[in-house]
Amino acid sequence: MTVASVLVVGGGPAGLAAAARLAESGVAVDLVELRPALGGAFHRRPIDGVAPWPVGREGAKRWARLTDDLRRPRIRIRLRTAFLGLDGSGAALLDDLAAGRVEALRPDAIVVATGAVERVRPRPGWELPGVSTAGGLQMAMKETGRIPEGRILLAGNGPLLVALAGQMIAADRPPVALVEAGDPIRHPIAGLGLLAHPRPLLEASGHVLRIFAGRLPWRRATTVERIEAVGTALAVTLRDRAGRAETIEVDRVALHDGLLSNDHGLPEVDDGAPGRPIVARAGDCREVLGVAAAEIDGHRAAEEVVARLAGAPGADAAAARRLAHERHAQQVLARVFAPARLPVPVERLPRETVLCRCEGRTVGDLVDLVDGADAPGGREIKLSGRFAMGLCQGRFCAHWVAEAAAGLRPDAPAPLSGDLTGRRWPARPVSVAAVVASALPPER
Amino acid sequence: MSAPTILWNGRPVPFRPGESIGTALGAAGVVAFGHDPAGRATRWFCGVGACQSCLVRVGDRLVEACLTPASDGLVVVSADREPEAAR
Repeated sequence: MTVASVLVVGGGPAGLAAAARLAESGVAVDLVELRPALGGAFHRRPIDGVAPWPVGREGAKRWARLTDDLRRPRIRIRLRTAFLGLDGSGAALLDDLAAGRVEALRPDAIVVATGAVERVRPRPGWELPGVSTAGGLQMAMKETGRIPEGRILLAGNGPLLVALAGQMIAADRPPVALVEAGDPIRHPIAGLGLLAHPRPLLEASGHVLRIFAGRLPWRRATTVERIEAVGTALAVTLRDRAGRAETIEVDRVALHDGLLSNDHGLPEVDDGAPGRPIVARAGDCREVLGVAAAEIDGHRAAEEVVARLAGAPGADAAAARRLAHERHAQQVLARVFAPARLPVPVERLPRETVLCRCEGRTVGDLVDLVDGADAPGGREIKLSGRFAMGLCQGRFCAHWVAEAAAGLRPDAPAPLSGDLTGRRWPARPVSVAAVVASALPPER
Repeated sequence: MSAPTILWNGRPVPFRPGESIGTALGAAGVVAFGHDPAGRATRWFCGVGACQSCLVRVGDRLVEACLTPASDGLVVVSADREPEAAR
């Protein structure tokens, strides 16, 4: 009897947990990771000679657990390898980034564990150099152990910004200010729900205490209205809850408005027709529930795959209960961080606001396109308007374009984000040379 | 021994072993990475290989600065420069 083989895509907590549990069950595992090191976003590894970024006691224990479990036979780890998708024949295509070559695997199952991408609300100037996502800034900090030089403004919405501000203060390089659309400390009743989640509550309290102790300007119920380049600096216009505008000058802006599943171009969950692999998803790419849930969900997905490979249904009630607990924590946080005012609808932003950075398409371009006699559908907005058509494949704009188009044409069926991005592989750009250099095996 | 460097648009930029092209440029104060072939300004953005905003050219390939390790003597140019410039 041949050993079943499973491809795990993504070396973050969900992928690592899935790989370990699969190997424990006697399955041969190929684990592919895009970066030169395992870890994912939360557990991003530092470069040689740099201490890992503090991730709390729970976090340190989780990482030790995940890497211990990985020391099993039957797990082959391939770093710097991108999963491009499943082709029509059911082959999983991998892009070996170091060698510049595409190869195909024919696993019996795939666990997709590609994590999350950040949601960044469009604002005039968000496309300027010096503006990054807050997670992007945090990744650079975790990798290098250093905070980039210059005055840094954190802005947007959600608990990640509070954590990042707390980490920067702890590293003695506080941001200039933390601009938050919500007003989290005005929701003590909603916040009581966090008492059911002592671990994240304790962590959040630590960051909030650091923010107050460090006298960091925490501009709650305030939004970034626009960012303008002034020489090498950035002038950021804020608007507070009373409608007052204020402009501050900084060197870098880190934006964040929440997280989305990173599932573009990736195969859907599938029971596996003959000749095609079973597909499961795990962690934030299935549902954004955070790092603790990712480990639970990795184990759950592995058990589901093992059961399905044996022809059994794969529901795990215990994992479902633990995930429901993590979901509750996320729901409480969402209530606590609810924006204090309704954000300006994307379609009412200034016409010059870039919606799709890759193709340089603006709010004005979308208004002109959608304002005809017949409202265009999602595919048409993409093909004629070139929205979500660029290299990022709509990861950062498709949801906003869909929302804005729906707002502009309430008379027409609302386009879906998926209509704009498409649902086909490749999941990321691949060079023609790499495909040409590929050695694809015959179909099985 | 002097610190290893990449050659960024003809100028030596030091990096620490294991660092990506993107964080090495960031540490050297390079915020604007030039332009991509579509003419959009390139820069560090998502840090996770998803946004394609940090494309740079290494040889005849466009690569994400945030994903690609720096190596000593590596020739890196803005994405809109000719491949010859990176040789």
